[in-house]
Amino acid sequence: MNFSVVVSQFWPLLINGLALGFIYVLISLGYTMVYGVLRLINFANSEIFMVGTFATVIVSRNFFGFNQNTDPLHGFKLIYTLGACLVASMLMSGVTAVLVEIVAYRRLRAKGTNRLASLISAIGVSIILQEGVRILTNSIPYSNPRLLKKVYVVHAGPIELRNDTILVIVFAAILFFLVDRFVSKTLLGKAIRAVSMSEETSKLMGINLNRVISATFLIGGMMTGAAAFLYETVYENTKYNVGFSIGLAAFTAAVLGGIGNLRGAFYGGLALGLLEEFAAAILGTQWKAVTVFLVLVLVLLFKPNGLFGEAVQQTRV
Amino acid sequence: MNKNTTRVLGVVAVSVLAIGTLAVSSAQGAVKSVTLVYQGPLTGTDAQTGQDELLGAKTAVQMYNDSNPAVKVNLITADDQGDGSVAGTVAPGVAANKSVVGVVGPAYSGASIASFPSYKATRLTMVSPSATRVTLTDPKSADNGFPFFHRVVGNDALQGPAVVRWSTAGIDSPKVYVIDDQTPYGTGLAQAATAYIKLKKINEVGSDSVVQKTSDYTATVAKIKASKANVVIYTGYYPDGGALAKSLNDSGWAGVFAGGDGVLNDAFIGVAGKAAAEGAKFTAPAVPFETAATDAQQAAFTKATGLKSAAGHVYVTETFNATNVFLSCIKLGKVTRAGIQNCVATGTFFALDGKTVLRFTRFGEVVGGAPVGGFQVVKGVIKYFGAV
Repeated sequence: MNFSVVVSQFWPLLINGLALGFIYVLISLGYTMVYGVLRLINFANSEIFMVGTFATVIVSRNFFGFNQNTDPLHGFKLIYTLGACLVASMLMSGVTAVLVEIVAYRRLRAKGTNRLASLISAIGVSIILQEGVRILTNSIPYSNPRLLKKVYVVHAGPIELRNDTILVIVFAAILFFLVDRFVSKTLLGKAIRAVSMSEETSKLMGINLNRVISATFLIGGMMTGAAAFLYETVYENTKYNVGFSIGLAAFTAAVLGGIGNLRGAFYGGLALGLLEEFAAAILGTQWKAVTVFLVLVLVLLFKPNGLFGEAVQQTRV
Repeated sequence: MNKNTTRVLGVVAVSVLAIGTLAVSSAQGAVKSVTLVYQGPLTGTDAQTGQDELLGAKTAVQMYNDSNPAVKVNLITADDQGDGSVAGTVAPGVAANKSVVGVVGPAYSGASIASFPSYKATRLTMVSPSATRVTLTDPKSADNGFPFFHRVVGNDALQGPAVVRWSTAGIDSPKVYVIDDQTPYGTGLAQAATAYIKLKKINEVGSDSVVQKTSDYTATVAKIKASKANVVIYTGYYPDGGALAKSLNDSGWAGVFAGGDGVLNDAFIGVAGKAAAEGAKFTAPAVPFETAATDAQQAAFTKATGLKSAAGHVYVTETFNATNVFLSCIKLGKVTRAGIQNCVATGTFFALDGKTVLRFTRFGEVVGGAPVGGFQVVKGVIKYFGAV
């Protein structure tokens, strides 16, 4: 165990853990919102993330024509390009999520099949998407050109903040706030919450179930797409299986916080990001996964609904 | 049984024996072609290594077949993605193909270990151009491929010290941080490097073990920065090595990033980006084809592959050499698995330059070891600096 690294590198570890955690937060929204309305774990969400990363790479490389030799962008061109990548990523992920819902889940739901069939269908869609992209890309990793020059813009004693890290934290926090407000204040948000509480009663109240469920998939997919865009801005690489480990981590975050609970996903994502970062630093990176899942098992033993599952029940989607 | 019956039976027996002998010799004489398999990662994240090596195998077979030999050679491929779990499913199919008399490969150590049971059971000889884990030829190890595995490259016991020497060259007080990728290759090379660091009393300021396909290296980077390391040795493969180098560079860390032959690949520059890749050092028990080949060999390379030069492609020479070991045996009329095995184990062969002798120890190691070369990224291109 190496505690000295925590002393000397506390702030970088904290900041990097938060940035990673915020990416988890956005992806875990895709899991938690769908679970909230359908009681279904959408395993295809990790591939919806993968689709988003490829959307960002395709827009920057094929639409704008940037490559590894392109200098980083500045000013309006930077904002315009990043904005286009973000929109493309959110749209592609959102549309993919809706298509997955229509193709893989809706018919099963209409036929009244049990949840196990939907679960298998989710895993099937996940494998189809991943293998499809693997074949299309010949399994080769794709690099995203550097659009944003990475520089440390804040120097305050031991605290140093890089521009891409700030972008991740601020943008993800804003997005989460907007989704939270949307779900609690708008008509559609209220409909989503109503469906999550009781499907049957919602139908009796005149709520169009299919439309609400599609909207839930769209919002969850768009949040996952936003996470994919942020991931590409920081890590600048993707491949067909990029979503597997990060999707698993985000799902874990959702369970840790209390799956089906928006704010639980928020706290769970941040807790997981920080836990991974500090566990890797103190125990060694090889112990990161062991530590995370040990903590998850312990939490679920004492709080089966997750850390915040019961405490903030009213914010459930 | 009377005498006549005995005579008749004797004549019949002799006739059957004679016909049988004739049939066997005519069958052997009828062997017009045999098959060699190249096994390595042809798809997947490490595909570039396999695609590069295949160029060397194609060139050797092209030159051989162009010489109008009595027995032609077909070259087929087996894609194990460089992954032991995939190799374990690919190798039985290769082993079951009776036309196959030898395996050029496997390219990776983990894939080799997973393939051994199938090839040992069917007596299929392997000559690897790039699997360097020490235990593959260690008779005390459960992982060894004796007596069917051979390699034309030096093992990690040679490469480990070389990567330390090459990465710390020119640094007054090196502080080394060693990271492995938890694969059989990565852990073996890291152990060899660490042993040499201790032997030479070099300052090792830390170590870490990061699973493959990790996307976020920030915790490892924080530890490296805390350790004040000025040399990082990564013993894994280029897709992850590139991501780690990029993360280090983005954090503002300025030091020497180094790796073994798993990281040596043009694709490393693509993943890391030019800025992070610049100055990175690599070692490999390999000699670039374009620096060692004759004009005739260069021409054969172009004819076989359609490429003007082998520059930027790794292990082409070593795969050419490994393939030529089999081709030399086939030229001598060894067209069965048993014949090939005996020939490879006891024969004397020549490397690409026509001078360097290749012979194998009883356990498949190349006699006298093989030189380990030093490479570095200079102005966005990987350059060879000779043996280190």
